[in-house]
Amino acid sequence: MSWRSSPEAGNSPDGDLLVGLLAVVGGTRPDADVGLIGRAYDFAARAHAGQSRKTGDPYISHPVAVAAILVQAGADDQTLCAGLLHDTPQGGSYSLAALRGEFGADVTRLVTGVAALDDGFGTGQPGSRADGPATEPTPDLRVSMIKLADRLHNLRTAGPLPPATQLSKSRETLEVLVPLAASLGLDAIRTELAELAARMISGHAASRASPSGRLLAAAAALLPRTARSRWRDEWAGELAALPTRRGRAVFTARTLAGIPRLRVTLRRPPRADGTRR
Amino acid sequence: MTPGPRLTLQVQLVLAALLSEPARDYYGLQLCELTSLPSGTIYPFMARLEQLGWVESSWEDPRRHVPEGRPRRRYYRLTGEGAGQAREALARVRRPGRRPRYGLVTWPGIAEVTR
Repeated sequence: MSWRSSPEAGNSPDGDLLVGLLAVVGGTRPDADVGLIGRAYDFAARAHAGQSRKTGDPYISHPVAVAAILVQAGADDQTLCAGLLHDTPQGGSYSLAALRGEFGADVTRLVTGVAALDDGFGTGQPGSRADGPATEPTPDLRVSMIKLADRLHNLRTAGPLPPATQLSKSRETLEVLVPLAASLGLDAIRTELAELAARMISGHAASRASPSGRLLAAAAALLPRTARSRWRDEWAGELAALPTRRGRAVFTARTLAGIPRLRVTLRRPPRADGTRR
Repeated sequence: MTPGPRLTLQVQLVLAALLSEPARDYYGLQLCELTSLPSGTIYPFMARLEQLGWVESSWEDPRRHVPEGRPRRRYYRLTGEGAGQAREALARVRRPGRRPRYGLVTWPGIAEVTR
């Protein structure tokens, strides 16, 4: 494939990002216009030059990840490019006119559509519009896909955000974006969004937990690593439903007593079909 | 026949509780209440039953716990295979001629299973 020998790909320190993206594209949509994708990457990389994310990664890593999610969701070339470019209007140094000149009206409309969608939900007061949500125009399918991919990557990398932001983004995701993904039939995105948001909300509750909750959360560290967060969340869920401090203390003491046994159980390899170890 | 868990009385209690409404989801504390077993016993059992494929577990639907402002719960449910295996296992330990233990046989779930 021609893009593999593309001289630009390895030039910048972040060129690996483009190579990675093109590998995903090549594996999923061999017919994609890699020249167009490369140009969109270059444009975005210039617009976001010197910017970094809260995670410490160069900013360009975000639009690239969004584009990769879009490829896997079956997006077309224009949507993919708009995904790469979706934050460039906020980058400041590049005007919409430049965007239109370089990529045409279709891609530009998708990029501005995502920004318009951001203003359209979550921040608006539900009561401020007399007509209510029923008359809100259905967002363009491709704009919605970009927005969903954007949120998915933001949630995947939300760790460094303040808890209050994580919580509000998670709520908005469950209330608005998960139903949107479901209505578009984007099942993989819907499932992951719902899981990330629910985990974030539950983790938030656990971090505000009682002394009992903190004790159990600490004790979960005795379990195999892959099982820890599941049991920590499970116990936080049970604790939160117990009304009295005494009830929580009893639950905690009894659950702690079972941790050595749980640890042994979880360390047993899963059964090989039909055979006892 | 897939080998099952060791059928201690406690495991029998848990299986009977799950079988009393096989299609229902139970969270851990509900199983504690139904069986009068402590949570420190229930969770390792459930982990083992899940490993064996008798039980599957899943998180509560966010549409239920988020509006109530509480963290999600983990729910357990017998798998189709698990329900059959559990019935057979309980029937085996309770085969005719073997004197049923008082207290267990009056338990609603067991009566249903042995019928």
